[in-house]
Amino acid sequence: MAKKTINLDMTECNNREMRIGTIISWDGKASELVEASNYEQRSKHEKHHHGCPGGKGKACQLCELSTPFSQQTMCANAIVACQAGNLTDCILIEHSPIGCSANHIHFNIAFRIGLQRRGKSPENLKIFSTNLNENDMVFGASDRLRRTIDDAYERYHPKAIFISMSCSTAIIGEDIDSVADEKEAELGIPVVPLHCEGFRSKHWSTGFDVSQHGVARQIVKRNPEKIQKDLINIVALWGTDYFTEILKPLGLRVNYLLDMASYDELQQASEAVATSTFCHTLGSYLSTALEEHFGVPQIDAPMPYGISATDEWLRAIAKVVGKEDIIEDYIRSEHERIQPELDQLKEKLKGLHGFVLTGSAYAHALICALKDLGIEVDGSVVFHHDPVYDSGHDRQNSLKYLVDNYGDIEHFTVSKTQPFQLPGILKRVKTDFVIIRHYGLSPVAAKLGIPALAMGDEHFPMGYNGIIRLGNLILDIVARKKFNKVLSRHTELGYTDWWLSQEDPFVLAHKPELINEPIYETNGGRYDG
Amino acid sequence: MAEQTKTKKKRSSTIVHSRYGCAVGASYTVAAIKGGVPIAHCSPGCVEKQYHLLTFNNGFQGSGIAAGGDMPSVNFGENEVVFGGVKKLDAEIQSALKIVKGDLFVVLSGCSAGLIGDDVSSVVKKYKELGYNIVYAEVPGFKGNNLYGHEVVVKAIIDQFVGDYKGKKRKRLINLWSEVPYFNTNWRGDLTELKRILEGAGFEVNVFFGPHSRGVEEWKSIPKASFNLLVSPWVGLDTVKHLEKKYNQPYLHIPVLPVGEEATSEFLRKVVAFSGLDSSKAEAFIEKEAKEYYYYLEHFADFFSEYWFGLPSRFATIGDSAYNIAFTKFLADQIGLIPVRQIISDNPPAKYRKELSELYHNLSEGVSAEVEYIEDGYIIEQELEKVDFGNSKPLILGSSWELDVAKKRKALLVEIGAPIGDEVVINRSYIGYRGALTLLEKIYTKTVGG
Repeated sequence: MAKKTINLDMTECNNREMRIGTIISWDGKASELVEASNYEQRSKHEKHHHGCPGGKGKACQLCELSTPFSQQTMCANAIVACQAGNLTDCILIEHSPIGCSANHIHFNIAFRIGLQRRGKSPENLKIFSTNLNENDMVFGASDRLRRTIDDAYERYHPKAIFISMSCSTAIIGEDIDSVADEKEAELGIPVVPLHCEGFRSKHWSTGFDVSQHGVARQIVKRNPEKIQKDLINIVALWGTDYFTEILKPLGLRVNYLLDMASYDELQQASEAVATSTFCHTLGSYLSTALEEHFGVPQIDAPMPYGISATDEWLRAIAKVVGKEDIIEDYIRSEHERIQPELDQLKEKLKGLHGFVLTGSAYAHALICALKDLGIEVDGSVVFHHDPVYDSGHDRQNSLKYLVDNYGDIEHFTVSKTQPFQLPGILKRVKTDFVIIRHYGLSPVAAKLGIPALAMGDEHFPMGYNGIIRLGNLILDIVARKKFNKVLSRHTELGYTDWWLSQEDPFVLAHKPELINEPIYETNGGRYDG
Repeated sequence: MAEQTKTKKKRSSTIVHSRYGCAVGASYTVAAIKGGVPIAHCSPGCVEKQYHLLTFNNGFQGSGIAAGGDMPSVNFGENEVVFGGVKKLDAEIQSALKIVKGDLFVVLSGCSAGLIGDDVSSVVKKYKELGYNIVYAEVPGFKGNNLYGHEVVVKAIIDQFVGDYKGKKRKRLINLWSEVPYFNTNWRGDLTELKRILEGAGFEVNVFFGPHSRGVEEWKSIPKASFNLLVSPWVGLDTVKHLEKKYNQPYLHIPVLPVGEEATSEFLRKVVAFSGLDSSKAEAFIEKEAKEYYYYLEHFADFFSEYWFGLPSRFATIGDSAYNIAFTKFLADQIGLIPVRQIISDNPPAKYRKELSELYHNLSEGVSAEVEYIEDGYIIEQELEKVDFGNSKPLILGSSWELDVAKKRKALLVEIGAPIGDEVVINRSYIGYRGALTLLEKIYTKTVGG
């Protein structure tokens, strides 16, 4: 590849919306979004000259809906905590008031369980906070940061230290790059500044890129002396180690990045024979950085969910690692192995409708797996949409893969965890259950009588065994409808009658003037009519 | 010496394993009011993070109607930071009033708004003048933790919503200020128990938060109460002092949450005495409750006296001021366990610490403890590694952050306060008559078995 899309010279990485035109609000048919995304043209290098969705050129016209109302969401700073903060022998320091660290206990549960899933013993994560106060806001906080770096070093002797920027420290202009340089020279370990303040990007997934940028820039071994021909990088979160079982027949060992990895595991990423991921949304930045700057090729294939995507993924890996001679036999025997159980499951699941609410690429992949189980999918909510991934590789165009192979999705919505839209969104479709990642949406579905499969183990549905696992789990989830029906009979949603009577969940984007019209009910202590 | 060089550096403010959120966490104070709708004038991520420490990973309490994922939030972007966030806040309020069902809307502004100097009050004023119940509170995270934020928000509601009052007071009506919603993991069960026993003693009780409150109507009745009852070591003191000035309403401060029959009966007698009401109803109630309590305690005593396989004796308590002193006192005074290390982790203001420490000097006849104030979880855990628990099984009352050190010390860990990531809490209480028995069940359930 002639021109590099990822620039590791800078400490900052460009926001996702600037780099690849990410949007967070859209509503239509999946096929329309495929067309509007124009992945192929965007993936050509022109995008890097005017890469914003509102810029010049045909590839830059992905329109976005704008609503006046928004509900709480995650931020990039939180994502950095669940990436750079989840390493076993490195320390993340959050340069911020203490509130930015209030989610550590949440990631701690994932980290402890994740360690066990990777055969490591569970322990608490150790993210530090500089715990800033009003004085620090007025007089600057760099000395506090230096002191906390010293504390982290003295307490744990980490192999690397990461520093994450918060809204407040960004606004007061803290120079974390200089402090990082100074401390790196003093301590003799990488000290990595991460520019992930929450207001910076409109979508939290920029936090994945920021973390991976720091790792690629300052941790991964440059010019490795050896190549480990049996090592494949999988960019992942906390998922169970299902990749090992599916890749073993190809003679591969898995190097998971970043969560629960050690410093050495991060370093050796450049020694691997290839990189792949459980989700292109999460993995594309690091995969592309490794490809462009370290010569490690990434697997150009759909993600391994659903039968045909798994086939293609395995073939693409086999090609890279020189196992093309055995791959067709392997795939055939796997198909034969799962077919009887798959047939039984399809019989039991017949007539069921499902609805997926997750991050972008992961949703595309999950729907493939659902469709293979014979489950109907009338709609989906993705929390953002990337019209193209950093790699620009054609066979990673996951939404197109879904539409081409499994048909259109009638109601395909891009919305950044906005529960107020959910009653309207679910009214348009038939669904017996929802599959969900991220918090805040399934409680609304729950009150509407719909049980949720919280897909906390993101690797669970991957590969051939994953389809079987998924089918069985859906039967368990659908049984919980009993609970949801009780709930829907006796509880109410916290929205006005006026809002719940709207047919279009994006009505305020389509008809902004509506917000000035009376709703003819009492709310906030006043009758509006 | 290494120590000397260290002191030359800037004093460490480091916190690992945070046990509290920031002032914006008070959005959950609003969420705990029936009909209360918080509007976070914050960056994305701010209130989402508070949710994890205060409710989801604090007993998986849930979040009710307008909190959790449903909480309105302006979600600052670069544009708001550069050009100001009031325009977006205006649109957010206008649309929230149409979309989100509620009786009282509370705008909470965070770090970003505070640092760029957004004029939140003028936006809110516009909607207030239109007749909506709406108030605002400036609660940037750099100003203090969620306990600080709690009092700022309560005061904002009193001043901007409850307003002035000149009418009569109702003799039996009292305002109860106690645990901090969501942060104090058992707040719902505990407020239920406090309301139950105070009503049993003859009072009408405003609890303000949770399922037994009448919501905003109850807040409006604050000035009608004959006095404010504060049951908390220090959180709420600002509130009751403010109410004393504002409504000429006296307050009774009882710093220790009552746990067990003797403490709870004494508590009720104190409140009745302060009120000047006739004590006969309270005494009848106390008698009935005591009978029931000792019926169960008598049966528990068989186990406590006869269990062959060892029971914990020495215990450490890690937690916020309110729970820490309450459970330490109960176990020391009523059960005869030995307090060996008590650490308060909620950073009480310096002016309250002397009196708070004094409470530990008088835990029971002949039992005194020294309490320490530490917010950095790393140091807390280091301290616990050093504690001499004697020969019996160590008992640690703490949070889920103590999992590792409890394992190391082969201790029983009973989670009493935020954050609690491995227990589900629905309506349990560890205080009063009934809650004390539940606490015993919890501790000794963890103890028994092979």
